[in-house]
Amino acid sequence: MKLYNLVKNEVFKMIGKKRLYITLGIAFVIIVAFAYGQYHSLDRTKENLSKRIGIEATSDWRQVLQQQLIDIKRRMDSPYMDDDRRANLRVRAEQMQFYLDEDINPLEVSAVTFSTKFIEQSLLFLLPLLMIILSADIVSGELSGGTIKLLLVRGVSRWKILLSKYITIILLEALVMFFVLIFSIGVSGIFFGYGGWTTPVVTGFKVVAGKLVTSDIVNVPGWKYLMMTYGLAYFVAVVVGSVSFMISTLVRSTAASIGIVLSTLIGGTLLTNFLEDWKLPRYFFTANLRLTDYISGSLNPIEGMDMTFSLTVLSVWIIISIFVSFAYFTRRDILV
Amino acid sequence: MMAQILELKEVSKRLGNKDVVRDVNLSVSSSEIFGFLGPNGAGKTTTIRMIVGLIKPTSGQINICGYSIKKDFKKAMSNVGCIIESPDMYKYFTGMENLQHFAAMDKRITKERIDEVVEMVGLSHRINDKVSTYSLGMRQRLGIAQAIMGRPKLLILDEPTNGLDPAGIAEFRHLIRRLAYEEGMGVFISSHILSELQLICDTVAIVSKGRVVKSVKVKEIVEDMIVEWFLDKPERAIEILKERWNIDGEQSRKNSVKACIGTVRVEDINRTFFNEGLVISYCESHGNSLEELFLKLTEGDEIV
Repeated sequence: MKLYNLVKNEVFKMIGKKRLYITLGIAFVIIVAFAYGQYHSLDRTKENLSKRIGIEATSDWRQVLQQQLIDIKRRMDSPYMDDDRRANLRVRAEQMQFYLDEDINPLEVSAVTFSTKFIEQSLLFLLPLLMIILSADIVSGELSGGTIKLLLVRGVSRWKILLSKYITIILLEALVMFFVLIFSIGVSGIFFGYGGWTTPVVTGFKVVAGKLVTSDIVNVPGWKYLMMTYGLAYFVAVVVGSVSFMISTLVRSTAASIGIVLSTLIGGTLLTNFLEDWKLPRYFFTANLRLTDYISGSLNPIEGMDMTFSLTVLSVWIIISIFVSFAYFTRRDILV
Repeated sequence: MMAQILELKEVSKRLGNKDVVRDVNLSVSSSEIFGFLGPNGAGKTTTIRMIVGLIKPTSGQINICGYSIKKDFKKAMSNVGCIIESPDMYKYFTGMENLQHFAAMDKRITKERIDEVVEMVGLSHRINDKVSTYSLGMRQRLGIAQAIMGRPKLLILDEPTNGLDPAGIAEFRHLIRRLAYEEGMGVFISSHILSELQLICDTVAIVSKGRVVKSVKVKEIVEDMIVEWFLDKPERAIEILKERWNIDGEQSRKNSVKACIGTVRVEDINRTFFNEGLVISYCESHGNSLEELFLKLTEGDEIV
């Protein structure tokens, strides 16, 4: 009962200081821009294709796909291609072949495929950024505003107040994810039509030693695949939210808090360039954010990293963040 | 015997390698207004923060209504209302939303009670405005409202009259007296202005460099006069004071004697001096010893 009141307070504060609106506003603007861009590039692709191979738009997608397949094969034969890139292209070629064999049109763009694509693309930066904006000042804001002095002297234990803040972040992240989904379907539908719910999507690609293994491949309807993607994205949101919650607890100013989490995110992503040769960065949370790559099959595979590995690493990050936040916050002296 | 609302035993706090507060002992009972007086940086706010659990003492014990702040934090704190340093409120909320926010954390506070305290601190006409539009005085009033909302047994106010205009200060004194003497609250007020505390407090403790250097009943201070005589034989005057009333006088200038005379009447002393054949050119009073002590502390004090 009391925890419910505390969470309610926190949610009101998020609304009061406009954090929630800012987060949703940014998401909306970017979705509109992304959808518009996608619409234009689709137009351009169609034009290019009709110029090059003389077919009309995507009406005959098999022809387009076959043409692309030929392109890829030609590039693979190039003597300047290194082995890594070649293996990558081979996987793509095999994927296309699979679409042709199974009669699935991968070029079709609809509200559902757009929304799936959008969230896949935002996993690394946009989504974490939104979550940071939402959560980076939930504790540090009370410290810099001095209101923490009134919050902690109420006959409510510190851990309970911190818990209410953490719950609030988890809840509002779900809310933001929900709105991102609504926005992206709503907006992209205007450009591409509100279809694609039942179009089959192929998932279960596995790459073993640079070869595509198709034995586990399944077809799922578009809506289900969309839900899977958003489920994974929410998990990523919770991870980023937990880390930025921890930083927010450790530092006093909101600016420092946002700065630290952002540089961690960017720096950590740069580190992932060394993933092939250096084992350590793969235990960093940023190296594991692209969870959807494991189900869409578009990953440049790295030996030893799979869905289980990434989920484990990310879960450990959540647990550490929560532990550090609570251990520090319940002991620290409030001197502001 | 009045109930002890607040009790500090040998409380110390080290920050880095500095003793910010050293072995502070004090107690506040119900219906008592307790003044905590000290220059800036004497350790007042640190002591208050320890009382409300914002910082942990390095050693010593703090009890509120008999509950240890360390072991029974929730029970101890549910008896406290406070403002610490500045009345920082959520600026993006209205005054009313701020009060509702804090009221939601204490199930004893009803909607009627909120309206009642708003009335008490005189904020009714602006309570639905955003706090960002408030003056410091209005935020101070809102701070007092949130502190007394839960009918605490102990009210802690850190520099509460900052930003209040003279009328506001008078109103504030009236309110504090009412809370202490009618509702039985123990009130703990800190300030660096003696005259302000003298007017309202029953007891005043002076802190300097983290120590309580003196703790007195205000009733006694008023009688605690320092008198200076300008006369021809200061040595003799000191002897007489010692013999007759056991008062320690000191020669302050070439021809003068200064002494704290307590409850002895100046007229009696003057008559005795006269009868003993001393020639008094004039005598003057220097206020009381507390003020003198406090001034000495504030002037010569480097900040800890």
